[in-house]
Amino acid sequence: MENKLPITRLSKFLSNDDFDLNVQMGTEYLHGDLNMKLVLYRVDTTRTTTDDVYGEVGKDQIKYFPPIEFNALVKIDAPTNKSYKAGLVRFNEPGNITVSVYIKHLQELGVDIKYGDYIGYPESEERVRFYQVTNDGKVVSDGKHNMFGYKPFYRTITCAPAQETEFRGV
Amino acid sequence: MGIPKRKNNIDVYNSNKDMYSAPVRRQELLDRITKSDSYLPDSILHDDLDLGMLDFIKENFKIVSDGEQIPIIPKILTIQRWAELENSWEFVDEDRNIKLPFIAIVRQPDVQPGTNPVTQRTIPDRDTFFYASVPTWNGTQVGADIYRIPQPVAVDITFEVTIVCTKFRELNKFNQKVLQKFSSRQAYTTVKGHYIPIILDSVNDTTPLDTIDGRRYYIQNYKFTMLGFLIDSDDFEIKPAISRFFLLNEFAREGAPRKKYLNNTVDVTIVTFPADGLQTSFSVGESVGILFNVSVNGLMQERDTDYYHIAYTSKVSFDTPPLDGSTVTISYYKGRNNILLDNYGKILQVATEYFEYDGSTLIFQVNNAINSVVSVDINGLQEEEGSGYDIDGIRGIKLLGTPFIGSRIGVTYLY
Repeated sequence: MENKLPITRLSKFLSNDDFDLNVQMGTEYLHGDLNMKLVLYRVDTTRTTTDDVYGEVGKDQIKYFPPIEFNALVKIDAPTNKSYKAGLVRFNEPGNITVSVYIKHLQELGVDIKYGDYIGYPESEERVRFYQVTNDGKVVSDGKHNMFGYKPFYRTITCAPAQETEFRGV
Repeated sequence: MGIPKRKNNIDVYNSNKDMYSAPVRRQELLDRITKSDSYLPDSILHDDLDLGMLDFIKENFKIVSDGEQIPIIPKILTIQRWAELENSWEFVDEDRNIKLPFIAIVRQPDVQPGTNPVTQRTIPDRDTFFYASVPTWNGTQVGADIYRIPQPVAVDITFEVTIVCTKFRELNKFNQKVLQKFSSRQAYTTVKGHYIPIILDSVNDTTPLDTIDGRRYYIQNYKFTMLGFLIDSDDFEIKPAISRFFLLNEFAREGAPRKKYLNNTVDVTIVTFPADGLQTSFSVGESVGILFNVSVNGLMQERDTDYYHIAYTSKVSFDTPPLDGSTVTISYYKGRNNILLDNYGKILQVATEYFEYDGSTLIFQVNNAINSVVSVDINGLQEEEGSGYDIDGIRGIKLLGTPFIGSRIGVTYLY
């Protein structure tokens, strides 16, 4: 078992109890009031059959662990109008999604969100849009992700929209 | 050192010469070109060549990935948005975006002058040349029509075939197909029976590899040049060939004198010359005894004003050359003096008198008894006897039409 190093900095202003209280209040707001739910599809790298040379997968060939619902703060960028070829073959690229999730929430669920995993976000009652994690936000050592410089309390995860031929949750 | 033995029994067409000989093959190609209707080839214009390229891509670049053929956008993409939508609706996702992978064909809008050496400029000015002689039958006669067409116009059309996909193996398959097809640098498509060469120019990759947080895909462009040619049926000529031959020879000398007879007693010679716009002097080839009048396109000319003539010479000269295409007419009595004799030896005199029409009468009396009228003109425009005037009595000239009041009537006559 690894040794744990107690965090004693800022103890005159913010104790571990204060930290937990703040996280608890934020969680109540995020989970209780906002209640934004997403579904995490963790890729099962051992069961997914990949190309021998390039390591790529075909349509619907990605295998994943049982999906897990989690709560997070969601921000979706505006879609952009693009073209594949100098103005021809236009496509409307959906915006990336930025997910802010409490670290404690992930620990309670016993999951980790990794680069390459997929996240489903129910855009409407009829449609779930899938995104692939392009930045799993594991590095949280910056001041933004640390509560007053005490210790990290959430992760920011960036995801790009997934092609239907790439992943569609089946 | 011995000379290498030559192999001189090569059978190019295998053993079946009838089937593969060049004339038979040419006829086969000609039949394919003209199979649609008659003996003439169909028009080949830009859209036909584009269609030929589309067919070529669809037929030769079928790639299967994940058990399905990679869709090829069935028409050439242009700038019209609705056309793009209309041609891709079969393979779009819920956002109406084209699903990957797919293959698209884009034609460069500018069509360049052709570089195919077979159809380059060798016959100038769109002249037509013999294409075929086609027999005809009109129910009674067997004839023929001659079909002529101009040389086709060579054009170079550049196409870009783009594959957009998400897997490396799809790129590999497409690349393999293309390079195998163009292993000899060029391949052929068939447009209305004509073989049209296509050359692979280049392959380039425009994959946005620097995309970290965006959607990822591969894009590769294959640039082709079609060495086509244009044939426009509007330029074809069909003319009947000769079915019967009737040969008629006419020998006429330019400026030959034409004789006119006045009452069958006096020989008045009338010579006409075509003017070329440069010539100022006209010679009748013989001495002019009495010059009656000179006209240009029927308009009487005034002596010593419009033209000059030295007595008893053969020439009439103008200050300014009559216009090109005009007809110069000279009426004269030949002789070396001014004695005019009729065919019976009687001496005649020539006189010219002028009258002004005042509206009172159409009959004008000359001073002498008329033997023959040489000419009557109204304001210089010569009139014809019977339709413009008649001789009325011994000295009268009667106009058959009414001129404007104040018109000048000129009468030249013998007496």
